[in-house]
Amino acid sequence: MQAGEFDELAFFRAIQDAGARALLIGRRALVLLGLPVLTADYDFWIAIENIAIFNDAAAKCDLQPTMEPDAARRRGRYVLEHAEHVDVLVARSMTPVDGIDVAFETIWPRRRTIALTPETELHIPHLDDLILTKRFAARPKDLEDVRLLTILKSESNT
Amino acid sequence: MTGRSANIAAFANRELGLDDVRAYLEAPVSDDEREQTIALIQWFTRRYRTPLERLAYVRRAYARWRLNALLTRR
Repeated sequence: MQAGEFDELAFFRAIQDAGARALLIGRRALVLLGLPVLTADYDFWIAIENIAIFNDAAAKCDLQPTMEPDAARRRGRYVLEHAEHVDVLVARSMTPVDGIDVAFETIWPRRRTIALTPETELHIPHLDDLILTKRFAARPKDLEDVRLLTILKSESNT
Repeated sequence: MTGRSANIAAFANRELGLDDVRAYLEAPVSDDEREQTIALIQWFTRRYRTPLERLAYVRRAYARWRLNALLTRR
């Protein structure tokens, strides 16, 4: 399969149908909120107990994990690859470079659900939580995204 | 990825120290930065009204970027 043939919607639908608690994070979440940023990858933060069903869903789109679930749990993250590259965070909590722990179980209930089609929804973190996820890595591009999201948030509040 | 784009990617993906992070995040948003960002959001959300259209736009944009990178390398 070529990268251009990847059925993104089918991927999201498979995740939904699997019942995996999965949050789309990273730049694609910014895109959904209306920020036109360039990205190559997909980034998800999933519940640690959902690795197997998430992988099964991804397998329907020919994406394969780079490690076994036990190893992914120990490491806190892994990758799904083939036609696309999907970074999967499975840690129970993460610490922003300048802050306190952010737990998946804390941000999951505050998630925002976005309807892509009448049959397909996906979940992203609340805007405040998405900003926190962008502070996990101290990379300039993430910090630029924090600034974009902060402006978006201020506009949403006006 | 070309040598140049690899260098740019490495620069954008480098990890900053805490002081640099704070400086980045605490720098005030200027009126110009705010206006440009809002204009960009308004253009994007008017042009691509649904989440699905926005995702499709980004896939096309990335495919164009990758094609250009390949052509530049040749």
